[in-house]
Formats: sequence, structure tokens, C-alpha cells
Amino acid sequence: MGENRPTNAFKEFSESVISMVDRPVTWFRENVVATNRPQYNWYHQQFRRVPTIDECYTDDVVCYTEANEQFKRDKQVDNEILNILRQRQEDCIIYEKNDHRTKCAHIMEEYNKAAENWFIKYGDLGIYGDVKTAYMKQKHRLIWERRHGKVGSGMKTDMD
Amino acid sequence: MSVLSRLPALGALRALPGRPLALTVAQRGMGGGGPRTMDITASRWQWHKFKDVLHFYFMLGAIPLTALAFAVNVFVGPAQLAPTPEDYTPKHWEYHRHPISRFLARYFYTSHQEDYEKYLHYIYEENEKKQMRLIEKRVKELMAEREDTRAHYYRPILTKYHKKVREEYDQMQHERGF
Repeated sequence: MGENRPTNAFKEFSESVISMVDRPVTWFRENVVATNRPQYNWYHQQFRRVPTIDECYTDDVVCYTEANEQFKRDKQVDNEILNILRQRQEDCIIYEKNDHRTKCAHIMEEYNKAAENWFIKYGDLGIYGDVKTAYMKQKHRLIWERRHGKVGSGMKTDMD
Repeated sequence: MSVLSRLPALGALRALPGRPLALTVAQRGMGGGGPRTMDITASRWQWHKFKDVLHFYFMLGAIPLTALAFAVNVFVGPAQLAPTPEDYTPKHWEYHRHPISRFLARYFYTSHQEDYEKYLHYIYEENEKKQMRLIEKRVKELMAEREDTRAHYYRPILTKYHKKVREEYDQMQHERGF
């Protein structure tokens, strides 16, 4: 598909102009550089899972610090996941503009759910929010839900 | 022409030369022979210092570092990303891509794991001290409140000197009789 496209004189002329710079550079790269380089690897660091904050004793600072570091790493990962979903949604909307409400509905739904979950876990923790704050937030939310029902299920009516 | 020469203003104009009167002619001042003179010129120290510094940073800095960077990038090159093989934990410098970063990480910098473990140890020690201080504080509070312990707030009264004085006084009374 790429090699035998029909060309014209102008295209060939511009190709030859570009290749005046491109061909020496490519030759240098392929013959001098690539043949003399050793092949060696680098890896992505993989961190082990450590006990989370709910498995730590209250005076165990080491456990708390490790849980905090894990929380920060997980937050970075979740941020990136949300970024990818948001990019997907934006690309779909731009591509299908003015039809996006029907054609991109599942992608938008997926992103909205993910954003809601992200906010439930990490939102409103403040600038000094760490793993303990997030844990307490979850605790307060569960207590509130136990007393008032699920979050987002509407206002209570006046019942006598 | 004769009309022009009769007008006195134009005659005065014609008397003015069109060229400058005193021509400045560049003349070569050829040295060689003659008494030694001291040339009083403005200082060129800043210019000389500038050239000196420029040469220093360029010859000893820019050129060697550029050559090193060229050699490393062309002949060693960056690493390829690979999935971590099972049953192999990569060394801490194998998490970097560029060969110079790998070199520095291997021979000069402390690894992330080392820093992390040192930090955890430090946190642990400081927490131990904190717990001990809290306990001490609580103990002091209770002792001040209850006043029932022979510890922080107790100054022992040594009675051996009082006893000595009493003994001597008794002895004196015995000897003297009053």
C-alpha cells in the first residue's frame, strides 16, 4: 500500500530534496550507530503490595508510612487511568461531533463512572490528604450511608 | 560666467574651498630605534580576562563534554525496554534508560530502596523516642497530681549530718554538763 503509490514530478522532486539530508543521516544511523551499539535492557520498576492502612496498628509508623507510599503510587496509577478514559471520550466526541450523545454514550458513561469512583476515593482530601484521611473519609461515608441510605439516592421525604 | 563673477555673494562663496583645509593623512608610525616609551592606553584587562575565561570553559568544558556525549550516544546508546523476566529482580541501575544515568545510578547515587529503608528506620527510631517521651510526660503528670511517689518530685533529706550534729551536741553536753 505504501511503496507503489502513483507519484508525480513534484512529489519526486520534493522527495529528492528531502533525501539530500535524509540519506546520509540514515546511512550513518544504520551503519555506524546501530552496528556498534550493545543491546541491553531496562525495566519498569514493579513494587510489591504491602499491607494497607486498615491492616496497620495505630502506633505502627512504619506500616503507616509504607501504606502511605502505596496509596500515593495507586493514586498516580488511577490518575493515569482516568486520563486515558478522558482522552478516549474526548477523541470520540471530536470524531463524532453533533452525534456524540448517541454514538459515544458508552464511552462517556464509562468515563463518568470512573470519574465518580475516583472522586469517591481521592476527592476532597485537601492538600495534606494522605492515606489516613482517605481511610477516615471512607469510614465517614459508610457510617453516613448506614444512617441515611446510599449516597445519591435523593432527598428523604417527610415521613412521620 | 561673467554674470556670476559680478555678484559679490557668489564671489565670497567661490572663495570658500570645497574640501577641508587641513587634511588628516594616516601616517605609519614605524617603531624601531628611538627611546623606550610607555604607551598610555585604556585597560584591556576585561577583554583579556573574557578571552581567558571563554577559552577555559569552551576548551575544557564544552568540547570534552560534547565529545563524551557524542561518543556515549553513538557508540553505547540507550537501552531497550523489556518486560521483567520471572525470577529476576533487576538491579537498581537497570531501571534507567540512558547509559550516563545508569552509570551515575550505579556508582554514585543511592538507590530508591536504600533511601526508602533508611527513611523507614529513621521514622521507626523517632517514633520510639516519641512514645517514650509521651510515657514520661504522662508519668510526670500523674506524679504531680497524686504526689505519692518517691521519684521526680522527691528531694531526699539526708539525715546523717543532722545525726552527727546531734551526737556531737549530746557529747558536749555530757562533757560540759550543760
